[in-house]
Amino acid sequence: MDQLKLIFKRNLWNENQVLRQILGICSILAVTNLMINTLVMGLGLIFVISFSSLTISLLRSFIPHRVRMITQVFIIAAFVILVDITIQAQLPEVSRALGPYVGLIITNCIIMGRAEAFAQKNPPLLAMADGFLAGVGYTLVILFISFIRELLGFGTILGFNVNFAGFETWTIMVMPPAAFFIIGLMVWAASAMQLSRQQTQKPAPPASSVGQQASR
Amino acid sequence: MKKEYIYSVVFVFLLSAVLTTILAGANAFFLPQIERNEELAQKRAVLYVLNIPFQTDADVEQAFAEQIRTASVDGIDLFVQYDQSQVTTGYAVPFQGSGLWGLIRGYMGLSSDLDGLLGVEFTEHNETPGLGSRIDEEWYKEQYRNIPIEDGQPVLTDDDGDRKIDSITGATSTSNAVIDIIGRSASNAVETLEGEL
Repeated sequence: MDQLKLIFKRNLWNENQVLRQILGICSILAVTNLMINTLVMGLGLIFVISFSSLTISLLRSFIPHRVRMITQVFIIAAFVILVDITIQAQLPEVSRALGPYVGLIITNCIIMGRAEAFAQKNPPLLAMADGFLAGVGYTLVILFISFIRELLGFGTILGFNVNFAGFETWTIMVMPPAAFFIIGLMVWAASAMQLSRQQTQKPAPPASSVGQQASR
Repeated sequence: MKKEYIYSVVFVFLLSAVLTTILAGANAFFLPQIERNEELAQKRAVLYVLNIPFQTDADVEQAFAEQIRTASVDGIDLFVQYDQSQVTTGYAVPFQGSGLWGLIRGYMGLSSDLDGLLGVEFTEHNETPGLGSRIDEEWYKEQYRNIPIEDGQPVLTDDDGDRKIDSITGATSTSNAVIDIIGRSASNAVETLEGEL
């Protein structure tokens, strides 16, 4: 249970895949201009990362070390294709809007990262929880970015019009660079918050080291 | 050492056999539905460009069964609309061309005597989401309704040389590309069909 709590805190905040590890950025630039697309992308990623972590963990004692990366990519790719086919069949409109990006979930470094760093040396359910929470951490961040982009770029939230008179939508928010600006600010804010918390937790450093830090 | 190699090969082989079987099964299971989605999207596009109203999927199938037949002219697969007395009332012709980021495909409706563009619909494009992709919006596509075709060219400008089609703010390249594609494709289609009539 303690381990689960640790995983929870680590994936959602302390080592958030996007804000702290800066992984999965490419997909963020592409899909975060509408919340609905972002949500589908996030759910797809959560599904893939949960089950690929579970599978890799189940097979961990059988996977030959020499070919472990190929095996991981293989398993991840299979789940990605499953998601892609399902969306094409059940949600043709969303599939059209997301274009090739669902297929590109496989290149999302977060999935391979969790497989290498966690799933291949931990028991199945813990690995699945880790994958799931890493995915949730990613999805929360991209949903927040898409909320800002959709609100300012289209004047809507999840497709509902919240435009008020005199509001000009920002074209820049619709373009991929907007995600760069927002994510940069978020990474900065997250780092600053964690840094200040670390400093308050430590006993007050001696005067000399404060000077050193300031001069760095 | 040698044993380890053999184990790796056998492992990867077995894993690929299992995963491929699962994927092939999923594909076979969903394929009819995916094909049906694509077919419906195409039929909706054809009805839309010929200005035939529809609401549900059932309407689409009914209108198609009653009014539309497929035909092939010079290797182009097109759709022909008939009225109740079997007289041709219009054509839906596929078109394609380069947009800003990639290929734009769609259908355009032409009147039976080839003197009018009835409407256009885009079935496939990769334009910027939120900017160029707004060519999918109703107000943009409706601008191409009932454009006269003179001397085999759709009249997309008025007497002063101003465009009849409003461009999309922030998507000038896409707007220009679409007007270019429609103009060129329409005159090609008229040329092809005229020879057959």
